[in-house]
Amino acid sequence: MLQKLLHELRTLPKFIYVLAAITTFGLAIGLYRFYVGLGPTTNLTKAFPWGIWISFDLSTVALSGGAFTLAALVYVFQFEDLHVATRPTVLAGLLGYSSVLVILLADLGRWDRFYNVFLHPNVSSALLEVSWCIAAYSLILLYELSPVFLENSRFKWLLPTIKRFTVPIVIVGVTLSTMHQSSLGTMFVIMSPRLNPLWYSMLLPVFFLISSLASGISLVIAGANISYWMFGRSLKTKTLSKLAWFLPWILGFYLVMKFGELLIAGELGLLFEGGIYTVLFWTEIIVGIVIPIILFAFKQVRFSRQISLFGALLIMGGVILNRFDVTWFGMKPVPGQFYSPHWMEVAILVGVVAGVVMVYSLVARFFPVYEETVAYSEPSVEAKHLDKLPLVQKQGSHAVGD
Amino acid sequence: MTEHTTKPRYGFLIDVSHCIDCRSCMVACSVENDVPMDSTRIWIKETGVTGDFPNLNRFTAPYHCMHCVDPSCVSACTVSALTRNEDGIVVYDSEICIGCRYCMYACPFEVPNYEWEQQLPLVVKCDMCFARLGEGQQPACAATCPTGAIKWGKYDDMLAEAHQRINEHPDKYIQHIYGEEENGGTSTLYISPVPFEDLGFPIAGTSSPAFSNRLVTEGTPMVAGMMLVGLSGAYLTIKHLKEEAEKERLEAEQEKATQPITEDK
Repeated sequence: MLQKLLHELRTLPKFIYVLAAITTFGLAIGLYRFYVGLGPTTNLTKAFPWGIWISFDLSTVALSGGAFTLAALVYVFQFEDLHVATRPTVLAGLLGYSSVLVILLADLGRWDRFYNVFLHPNVSSALLEVSWCIAAYSLILLYELSPVFLENSRFKWLLPTIKRFTVPIVIVGVTLSTMHQSSLGTMFVIMSPRLNPLWYSMLLPVFFLISSLASGISLVIAGANISYWMFGRSLKTKTLSKLAWFLPWILGFYLVMKFGELLIAGELGLLFEGGIYTVLFWTEIIVGIVIPIILFAFKQVRFSRQISLFGALLIMGGVILNRFDVTWFGMKPVPGQFYSPHWMEVAILVGVVAGVVMVYSLVARFFPVYEETVAYSEPSVEAKHLDKLPLVQKQGSHAVGD
Repeated sequence: MTEHTTKPRYGFLIDVSHCIDCRSCMVACSVENDVPMDSTRIWIKETGVTGDFPNLNRFTAPYHCMHCVDPSCVSACTVSALTRNEDGIVVYDSEICIGCRYCMYACPFEVPNYEWEQQLPLVVKCDMCFARLGEGQQPACAATCPTGAIKWGKYDDMLAEAHQRINEHPDKYIQHIYGEEENGGTSTLYISPVPFEDLGFPIAGTSSPAFSNRLVTEGTPMVAGMMLVGLSGAYLTIKHLKEEAEKERLEAEQEKATQPITEDK
């Protein structure tokens, strides 16, 4: 048994060990943070009580939106050919949410009584909604992913039961996601005196929801194309192009809403004011929205692995920048006070991210995550030709009862 | 919603023209609440030195929780550790707080502070010394202030006195009571000889952001319900349509299969 384990460890790729080292270092710093408190380990102050951890949480939740977007498309709207993408996306989503929960715990001053969220709820708090929804939704993601772990185990007999309840559970999950994706925006509705009017809006919950749809779809596209080059497994470009088709519409809707809101609020003048805020705002709009809209409007782009990966990364970058603007860069400056993260804040964050990538790689290695995807015999050859070649389907690729 | 809009029972009247920057209030607060001087619940805002020599001026003002009528912090607090009690005092339950620090960003007056150096820190915020009030005493800062710059009493009396002072001395005070309308009204009221922006007071609107917040959060359960119904409806409709299409396809196939036979006849 032990020998088998040692052998297994020895055959793991090198990068797993690098990730494990980074994770261990991050965890050690994390323990130190729990031991000494926030003062010595962070640069948070009265003027900036929230820092890079919150920016990370919001960005990660937005990107993990891929899981609920895809679940809605596959199970509710029954785009069946997208089904093959669900496992990698749900796994990514679950790990994204887990990392957020870990970072949130480190961020809480009184992490020792986090359970008060359930014992003493304040229903008018947007943060309460967020915490409840994230807790419940993480369990739902675990449920959606459970067949991956059960398929080859002696609990196989559970699978038909799990499958029977998948659609209702997914519907609850999609609802919970819609709620907390938007509630993350609601959190800032109360901060009208603090947040720069370029980002502040009563419609923040709607903006957050729409942008999470775009970044979620982008995550699926980027993930599929990266795994094409890294593992030689991916989705057909035809499937991916179907997903990409939604992007210009979602982003266009966002753009119209955003500028409409600024117009109605009479804040269009801010767009040409110059200075750091104007630059940040236009970067977000042009790099994260306008260029991707133009790119994905072309059929050739939707069918190209390289360019659609590039476009998806632009969208994800734009959404991440947006979350950083709302939580950090766009907050009212306090004279003489600046926030930049302490190295320990960054170390804990990098450790958690490395841990998440490591767990993803390990799960994908030992469990049938990519089984349903298409295996490309020679991933080095250009994608276009490969899609026309006969596809090598791995044995036992059929999911439960599909 | 009524609980958020009751009139405060007690209030402070802080007269900036009387403050001499002696900081006795800070010492009193520190002693009363048993906290070090750097994390007292009251501190001093100031204009800095203004004017041209020899006509130099410097105004200071003690600053603590405004005890809003509709407090943003209470609306924001994840775990109802912050509440507004029946006297209109915004109180903090240190046994419930989870330390999310949402109150610090939600407060339009930037009041709540945090015990950053503690292993298990708490929020630092004025509670109008409500333990002292129960013993029939005044809040520590008001009781200590040697010049009467901090006055404490019934809210209505404080407001009436504020109006009286600025009406009787229009030359001495600017015609604005900070806190009468700021953020939908607060229990702490200020009168001052200089504009409040010069003292570094936040420019707050006349309605509390807590109101906009509730507008969104209280509608959430309804939106969630609609989502559940809508998604279930969409699922069933699409499933039905797909089944219909499948049935039609099968029927068409059957017809095709039977057609040649009829032709043969």
